[in-house]
Amino acid sequence: MTRWVGTSVPRKEDARLTTGRGLFLDDVGRPGLLHAAMLRSPHAHARIVAIDTTEAARLPGVHAVITGADAAASTAPIRPLIPTPVPLHDWCLAVDRVRYAGEPVAAVAAVDRATAEDALERIHVEYEPLPAVVDPETAIRPDAPLLYPDLGTNVLWHDVLSYGDVAGAFARADGVLAERFEIQRYASTPLETFGAIAEYDAGLDGYTFWTNDQRPGLTLGILAESLRVPQARLRLISPDVGGAFGNKRRPAYLLASALLARRARRPVKYLEDRIENLTALMHACNGVMDLELAYRKDGTVLALRVRDIADEGKNLVSPTQHNLIKLGNLVNGYRIGAVSYEAYSVLTTKCPSGANRGIGKPFMCFAVERAMALLARRLDVDPAELRLRNYVGPGDMPYTTPPGAQYDSGDYPATLRRALERFDYTTWREEQARGRRAGRLLGIGIATSVEPAGTNLASYELITGRRAASGSAEAAMVRMEPDGQVRASIGDPASGQGYETVIAQIVADELGLAPAHVHVERGFDSATTPWLYLSGNYSNKFSVTDVGAVIGAARKVRDKLLRIAAHRLEAAVPDLELADGEARVLGLPGRGLSFRELARTAYADVLGLPPGEEPGLEARHAHQNPLAQPVGPDRRVRSQLVFSNAAHCCLVEIDRRTGQVKILKHVVVHDCGRELNPAIVEGMVHGSTVHGLGAALLEEFRYDEGGQLLTATFMDYLKPTALDVPDIEVDHLEHPSPFTPLGAKGVGEGGAIPGPAAVANAVEDALAPFGVVVRSLPVTSERVWRWLRDAPPAP
Amino acid sequence: MSLITVRLTVNGRQTERAVSPRRSLADFLREDLELTGTHVGCEHGVCGACTVLVDGRTARSCLLFAAQLEGAAVTTVEGLTPAEGLSPLQTAFHECHALQCGFCTPGMLAAAHELLAENPTPTRDEIRDAIGGNLCMCTGYVNIVRAIELAGARIRGAR
Amino acid sequence: MMNMRLVRPARLVDINAVPELSGIAARADGGVTIGALTRHTDLVVSPVVHDRAALLATAAAHVGHRAIRNRGTLGGSLAHADPAAELPAALVALDATLVIEGPRGRRRLAIADFFVGLLTTALGADEILVAIDVPGPPHAGWGFAELARRAGDFAIAGVAGIARPDDSGRCRDARLVAFGAADRPVRLRSAEGALIGTTLSDEAITRAGAEAARECDPPDDVHASSEYRRHLVAVLTEDVARAARDRRAAAAGSPCR
Repeated sequence: MTRWVGTSVPRKEDARLTTGRGLFLDDVGRPGLLHAAMLRSPHAHARIVAIDTTEAARLPGVHAVITGADAAASTAPIRPLIPTPVPLHDWCLAVDRVRYAGEPVAAVAAVDRATAEDALERIHVEYEPLPAVVDPETAIRPDAPLLYPDLGTNVLWHDVLSYGDVAGAFARADGVLAERFEIQRYASTPLETFGAIAEYDAGLDGYTFWTNDQRPGLTLGILAESLRVPQARLRLISPDVGGAFGNKRRPAYLLASALLARRARRPVKYLEDRIENLTALMHACNGVMDLELAYRKDGTVLALRVRDIADEGKNLVSPTQHNLIKLGNLVNGYRIGAVSYEAYSVLTTKCPSGANRGIGKPFMCFAVERAMALLARRLDVDPAELRLRNYVGPGDMPYTTPPGAQYDSGDYPATLRRALERFDYTTWREEQARGRRAGRLLGIGIATSVEPAGTNLASYELITGRRAASGSAEAAMVRMEPDGQVRASIGDPASGQGYETVIAQIVADELGLAPAHVHVERGFDSATTPWLYLSGNYSNKFSVTDVGAVIGAARKVRDKLLRIAAHRLEAAVPDLELADGEARVLGLPGRGLSFRELARTAYADVLGLPPGEEPGLEARHAHQNPLAQPVGPDRRVRSQLVFSNAAHCCLVEIDRRTGQVKILKHVVVHDCGRELNPAIVEGMVHGSTVHGLGAALLEEFRYDEGGQLLTATFMDYLKPTALDVPDIEVDHLEHPSPFTPLGAKGVGEGGAIPGPAAVANAVEDALAPFGVVVRSLPVTSERVWRWLRDAPPAP
Repeated sequence: MSLITVRLTVNGRQTERAVSPRRSLADFLREDLELTGTHVGCEHGVCGACTVLVDGRTARSCLLFAAQLEGAAVTTVEGLTPAEGLSPLQTAFHECHALQCGFCTPGMLAAAHELLAENPTPTRDEIRDAIGGNLCMCTGYVNIVRAIELAGARIRGAR
Repeated sequence: MMNMRLVRPARLVDINAVPELSGIAARADGGVTIGALTRHTDLVVSPVVHDRAALLATAAAHVGHRAIRNRGTLGGSLAHADPAAELPAALVALDATLVIEGPRGRRRLAIADFFVGLLTTALGADEILVAIDVPGPPHAGWGFAELARRAGDFAIAGVAGIARPDDSGRCRDARLVAFGAADRPVRLRSAEGALIGTTLSDEAITRAGAEAARECDPPDDVHASSEYRRHLVAVLTEDVARAARDRRAAAAGSPCR
C-alpha cells in the first residue's frame, strides 16, 4: 500500500535552507565561545627542534595555546581505522616531526579568529628541514626518505591478490593490451569547511562536540580513547551539514579543540578556512596504475592484471582504503573471469588522503574504461559494441566477480543501449565523421560503471589479518509522540541528501499517515539518536542499511499501534489497517481510532493499554545488511554490497588552435534500483556527474618537488562553475535490488565514477586522427595543444 | 585597534554599530547582527557563498569591510524572505530541487535576484552567466538554472 | 590579499565616498573621461563607454563575475596592476591618459608610462588615481580576446587591440597589447608592424601572430607554461586583428576611425 515512496515529494529541508534559517556548524553559538586557529607547518617534512609559545600566550584576548607536546602529554594517540604493521603514534598536533606542508603544530583559542591568527604569528618554531618525498614511486624505493623511520619503509601495504587462472588466461589470449594510467589528487571540497565546537564540562569531566564530522560512530570511539574518558561522558551533535562527500572527518581537529576548551575552560570553535581545507583536510589518492588486459580476437576480455600504487600522503587513519575499494570493483561491469591485483599503499609527505566521492572507484573506472576504449580502437570495433560483448548479462544476476563482489541486479547492456539512444549515438557518429572532414574535432566518449553501496568493514581483514570491525549496519528510532505525530532519527547525519524528506516518506508509508506529519531530526545527537560504531554518512549506505533501520523501527511502532487499536476496538489485528492517520476496522466504515487517540492511550491513559503492553510508542531498530560476510578462505570478500550501474555518453569539441575542450552534451543513464524520491535521485546524479567532469577537466592538487601545494586556493584549485558544464541529461532504468528492504541502491557516487573516464574517452576520440592516448587527468587545454603539436602529421 | 562606528540599513532596518576596522561584512552580518543565513565558503572572493546585495547589486561580503558600508543598504537572504512563506525564487528553488546541502543557496538567491530584477526573461546562458561566480558542489547547477528560469516566468506572469 | 594576510596596511582609507572620483563623461574629441571609482559593471552597461570605447566595455565584461564587477573599479584595476588583468591592457590599446593627484597637485601620465612591473605602477605612495581619459574619436576597428581556464578567471593570456585605417583603407596605426604574457601589459610592436601598411589581409594577420609569439616572453605558472602562453598570444593576436578588420568593415562610413 505504498503511497509516498517512489514519488518526488518536495524536500522538507528546503523551508529553512532557502530562507537562511538552517543551522550549520558556524551558526552554532555557545556562551563564552572562543575561536581557534592552528599554526601549520610551512615544510613538507621537517624535524621540530623547538617551539616557543610564550609571546602568543601573552597576547591580549588569547585564552589557551597548545602544542604537540601538550597533546602527547594529555591525550592518547589517535587510533587508526586500519592499523599499520608497526604501531605508529599520531596525535592531534605534530610531535617532533611534520610530514606535510600544512600539518598543524600548535593551536590557539582566542576571543575571535582574527586574534587567534594574530597569536599564531607570535609562535616561534624552529624546524630542521628533511627531504620531502612527493612521488609515490620514489617513496617505494629503499633509499627514499622515510616518514616513519620506525616503520623502515613508506609502504603501508603491499600485496598481490589473485583470483582465477590469470596466467592461463594470459597464455590463451590472442592479445594483451598494456597501459599505464595515472590519476591526480583532487577532492570534492564541500562548500562548508570542516570543524567542530568542543565544550568541556569540568564538573562531569565530560565533553560535548558540535561537528560536521560525517562518521560520528567511529569518531566518538576515537575521542573517548584519546581523551581518556568513558564514551558515556561524550556527546556529539551534528547540525545541518554543508556537503561532505567523504571529506568531512578529522578527529584530530576535534581533539585539539577539546584540549583548548579544557585548558581555557570555555567552549572553543575551530573551523577550517578554505586554504586549510584544500591544503590539509583530505585529498583523493593520486596514483599510478599499470594495467594489462588479456583478450580474444572477438573482443572478449579474459583477464585483467593490475598493479596499483595509491599515494596516501600522510594518511595514518584510513590507508589502503583506496586500494581495497578498487579491488571490489576491479572488473567493472564486465564478465572477466580472472584478475590479479597488486596493491601498494604508500606514504608521502603530502596532505592525508581519505574518503572522497567514490573512493578509488573513479580511478579504477578510468583505467578500465580507458583500456576498453583503447581495445576497441585496436580491434576496430565500436566501443559500445565491445562493451556489450563483455557485460555481465541480466540473466547472470546475481553475479559474483572474481574478487568476491556480488552484483545484485541490473541490466547493463540495456543501460548502455538506452544511453546511446538518448545521446543519439548514431547521428553523432555521422556528425563526427562529417565534422572531421571539415576540420572539426568532435569526440564521443562512452564510460559505464558499477556503483557500489554499503561497505563491509570485515574486508579490512585482508590487510590487517584480523577483524576489528565488520559488517554494514545502521540504527534508527521512530516515535509516535503523544499528539499522534511522528518523530524519527537515524545515526547517519545527512549532508544534503534529503533524508528528512525520504525518511518521512518511508515512515509515512509504514504507518499510514502523510510525510508532513513525520518530523525527522536534523543531523545527529549521540545522546538521543540511536547509533552504532558503523553509524555515519558514508559509502552510499542509505539504501543498504538506513532504510532497513527506519523500516524496522517503524514496523515495531506500527505493530504496537495495531495491538493497542485491536484492544481498544475489540477487534483482531488482522482485521485492522493503518491509513490516513487512523486505525480502522476493515469493512466497517466509521469504526476506527485516530493515531492521536491511540497515542493518548499509549502515553497518558496507560490503563487502557492491552495487558502487559509497555507504555509509550517508541521503537529503535538496527538493520544489518545480510550481504556483509566475513572474508572467505580464498580471500574473496564482499567489500561492498549492492551495485547500481550507469552509462555515460559525452560529446566534446576541441578547438584545435587553443586545445580548449568544451563539453557539448553529456547523457547519463543510471539504474539505482527503486528510486525512493526520483527528484532527489536525479539531483544527486547531476551533482555527482559534475564532480566527475571537474576531475576530468579542471581540478588538481599540484605539488612542487619540495612538497609545497601550488593550488591551495579556489583561484588555483579550479572547481567547475555553471559556465563550465552542460545541462546533464539524465534517464534511468529501475531494477530493484533483491537485497535491500525497498529495492533501492546507492546513488551518490554514480556520476563521479564514470564521469572522468567518459570525458577522457571523448577527448581521445576527438583526437583519434592524431594517435593521442589520454593517460592522465585533468585534460587541460595546454595538454591538448601539446598533443596536437607533437602529433605526427596526419596521413 | 580603535572601533569605527558605521550606520547602514540591513534588510530595511537602520543599524548602527561600532566595528573593528578589519571586521568583514560577512562577519559583521553573522557575528554582530546574527544574520547567519549568509555563509562563508572561501574568504577569498571566489565561491560566492557569502554573496549579498549592497545597494541592490551583488557583492562578496567576505571582500568588504563593514566599516566601508556607511550609508549603504545591505540585503541578505533574510531580507529576501517574505514575512510569511517563500518568495517566488525560493519557491522555485524548492519545487525544482535546486538545493541539496543548501550552503550555497543564499548566495545563489542573491545572484538570481539581481539577474531577475534586471532581466525577467533571461536565457539559460544568461542564467549560467549570472550564477557563474557562485560555486555549488551538490547540484551540478542543472536544477538551479531551471529554478531561476521558472521564477522568472512566474514573476513575468504576475506582472 | 588582506584576507590571506599577504597585505597588511597600517592605515586603510576608503575613498568610495568621494563622489568626484566616479562618473563617466563624454569628451569633446569623441573620447570619454572615466572616474577612477567607476565600477566594472558601469563600464559594461554605459552607453557612452559602449559608443566611445567599446573595447573597454568588452574588456570589463570579461572581468571576474557579476559580483566582482559590481565592486571592482577601473582605478583599482589599474593601480593593482595585475599583469593578467583585462582593463589595463584595454586602456593601453586605447592609449589612455591617467589623471593622478597628490600633495603636489594633479599630473597627467600616458598609460604607457604607468605600469613599471609586477603589481607595480608609477603611482607615488602619496598619490591616487583620479580619472582616466580615453581620447577620441572612437575606434571602429578593435578586438579583444582571451583564454582563461574557466570563464571569469584571470586569463592565461589575452590580447586587446585597435587598428586604424588611413584614407586608402590601409592600416595606418595599430596598437596590440598582450596581457598575462609578461609582468605588465605589453605592446606587441612587431606584430603591430606586421599589420601597419597592410589591408589586414589574412596573410598579414598570420604574420602578426607569428611576430607576436616571437616578441613576447611570457611567464610560467601553475596554470600554463610560457610556451603555451606564447602560442596563445599568437592565436589571440590573430583573432583580435581579424575582429578589428571585420568590425571596421562593418562600420565603414561611420564617424569612427
